[in-house]
Formats: sequence, structure tokens, C-alpha cells
Amino acid sequence: MQEPDHSVVRAVLAGDKDAYGALVRAHSGSVFRVAFRIIGNEADAEEIVQEAFLRGYQRLESFQQRSGFGTWIYRIAVNCALNRLSQPGIEAEYRHGEDSDPQEKTVQVAAKDADPERLLLTREIGAAQEMAMQRLTPTEKTAFVLRHLEDRSMNEIAEVLSIAPNAAKQAVFRAVQKLRRELAPLRGTA
Amino acid sequence: MRHLSEDQLVELYYGEASRGVSAHEQACRECSTRFAELRQSLDAIRSTEGVRRRADYGDRVWESLRPRLVPCEKKTAGWRAWGQWRAALVAMGCALLLAGAFFGGRYWERIATRKADVAANPGREATQRVVVVVLADHLDRTERLLVALEHANPSDHAENAQLQSSAQELLASNQLYRTAASHADDPLLAGALDQLEGVLAEVANDPNLTPADLRRVRDQMNAEGILFEIRVLMARKPEQAGGPKAAKGASI
Repeated sequence: MQEPDHSVVRAVLAGDKDAYGALVRAHSGSVFRVAFRIIGNEADAEEIVQEAFLRGYQRLESFQQRSGFGTWIYRIAVNCALNRLSQPGIEAEYRHGEDSDPQEKTVQVAAKDADPERLLLTREIGAAQEMAMQRLTPTEKTAFVLRHLEDRSMNEIAEVLSIAPNAAKQAVFRAVQKLRRELAPLRGTA
Repeated sequence: MRHLSEDQLVELYYGEASRGVSAHEQACRECSTRFAELRQSLDAIRSTEGVRRRADYGDRVWESLRPRLVPCEKKTAGWRAWGQWRAALVAMGCALLLAGAFFGGRYWERIATRKADVAANPGREATQRVVVVVLADHLDRTERLLVALEHANPSDHAENAQLQSSAQELLASNQLYRTAASHADDPLLAGALDQLEGVLAEVANDPNLTPADLRRVRDQMNAEGILFEIRVLMARKPEQAGGPKAAKGASI
């Protein structure tokens, strides 16, 4: 995948704008996934996808062909998402519902052969997890998403976040601690 | 026995723990229980996957993104445009150089031709000066004749005959000068010489000039301002030719 991407990048840099479409089609899914996981909002994630590919196009000349285009655009998307998370308005949006009673998050999950009640409970668990995720700092959330959901190594996370590997590891540890504390009432229900 | 910290359990969960940590987890029931709880919590988070996109999502992203992109060639178009400008400037410079060389050559050729003309006709300017001097002499002599006529005694036949002889000589010369002035496209001089010729012809061709005739000629000269006109012509010609000023006319 890497070599075809590089030839496409060369074509784009030579003036073939439409060749960039192949890169967008190939990587937009993974870019959306990580953006959505970090930002937690579908509309914002789609905007981040657009922004990431636009920035990628504008900086394509600085693209180091040592790494794959997928990795490169992925990092740009993570940075875009992180910037979006750092905006006060976005944070406020994510913290919506923070004042709700913590006891309400204590739910019982029924067996897997779901009936409507279990589906509702599953949805509530998902909402509680999402809320817990939103309580993390942007760095903690991004580090956790990259490590836990995207299976990125600590070194990759450190590189994307421009921090030391140990700091990236500590960010993941703090995120896990906070999430477990937030989701403690759900323990034993899943 | 020291139990595993939560960070070590997290490392164990992500497969980054050392062998000692892994061995302890398997050997220690308490740590094993804690690890099981941690795994349950984190697995629950992993199981809630995000929203999946449709297969044509990439196409939709590209469609909305495409109009916002400027082709990279436009970045190099600046250099290309600069290259075109540079080529145009070079062409313009060459054209200016050629034009300069052309007009410079023509100017140089004109100067060279003029020098060649001067070299080929070295007496032309001198000839013009000679003509002016000769004409000035003619006008000078004519003026003296007219002054003599003005102050002549009508009863002195010898003087009248002498004046008449001078008038005949001057008439012949004047005819030549008038013809030359006409050919030289000098209407003022030709006109003045023509007027003068009329007076000279009257004096020269009438052998029996009576005092009344001389008086009439003098009145005609005064009335027509021939003397004044000759003085002006005498003052003009040497200046035009770059020769000496006609101090003679001015002294009258």
C-alpha cells in the first residue's frame, strides 16, 4: 500500500489534483474512525476528516516518503481532533450532562439474548462510557484512544502527541484510572 | 509479598509488562482478581465500537473536498509564469538592443555621411560664404549708387553719366543675383532684388535722365523703402551664413 501511495503522492505533486482522490478514498475510513473515537461526535469527526485531508494536501510537499501516507494523514487527523478537543466550546459540549446524578449511572445489564430492556441498558452503558471518556483531558483521551482502541504503541502515541514515551504511558495510566473510577458503578453488570 | 500496581496491571493488559509481572499475576490470587476486574472494565470499553461509515464514504469525502483543492501545478505555475516573464523580458531586452543598434547605426551613418559630404565637398561652405560676400558687395555698391542718386545734382551731366554707367553694371549683376536667389528659393531676396532691378533698369536704360526723372526715382526709392530693405538684407545674409556682420549697412 505504501509504494502505490507514494506514486500517487508524486502524481499529485506533479499537478494531478484528482489523484489525491485515491488517497482520500483509501484512508478516509480510518481517519474518520480515529477522529470519531477521539472527538466522540459524528458531525465533528466528519469535519475533522475534511480538515485533515485538506491540511494533508496543503502540506503534501513536506510529506516524508519514509513513512506511509496512511500514518502521516492519521497523525494529522489526531492533531486536528486534539485541537478540536482543546477548544473551550467543544469541551463544554462534551461535558453536557455532567450534572446528572452519578447514581443514575448504576445500571444492571441483562443476559446477551437481548430484550428491549437489555438494549436500553446497553445503550445507557455506552452513554456512561462516553461521558466518562469526555471527562478525560484531551491528551489523556487521545492517548487512551490510540492505545486502547487503535492499538498504537506507546512510541507512536508519544510521537503523535509530541511528548516523551513515558509521558504518553502516564497519560494512558491516568486515563484508565479515571475511566475505571467513573465506570465503577457499572462493574459486574456487563 | 508486594502486589502489582495498577499501572503494572495496565501494562500487563496491553501486553507491555515484564515477565516478572506476568508471572506474579498468575501466581498471586489477589493480583489475578484485580487484573480480571481491570480487563473486564477495559474490554467493556473496547466492545463499544464507534459509528461505521458506508462503503462510499471515501467518495463523499472526496466530492466535498475536491472543489477546495488548488492543483499543485499552480504552485509551480508561479515559477512557470516567472519563467515566461523572464523570457518576455529577455525578448524585450533583445528587441530594445536591436532597435538601439538600428537607430544608433542610422545616426552614426548620418553623421558619417555628413562628414563624407563635407570631405567630398570641402568648398561648399566656403562657396556659400563667397556668394554672401559677393552679394553683400553688390548690395553695398547698389546702396552707394542709390545714396549718390539721392544726393546727385540733376544739372551735373558728367555725374549723371557716371551714375548711369554704374547702374548698367549693377543691373547686369543684379539680374544674375535675382535669378540665383530665385533658384535658391529665397523669395525675400529675390523680391528685393527685383525691386532694385526696376530702379537700376530705369536709371541705366534712360540716357537722358532729367533732374525731374532723378527726383522721381529718389521719391520712388524712398516711397518703396528699397534702401531700408537692402540694409535689412545686408544685415541678414552674413549672419545667416555665419559670416561677418554687415557693419557697412548699419553705418549708413
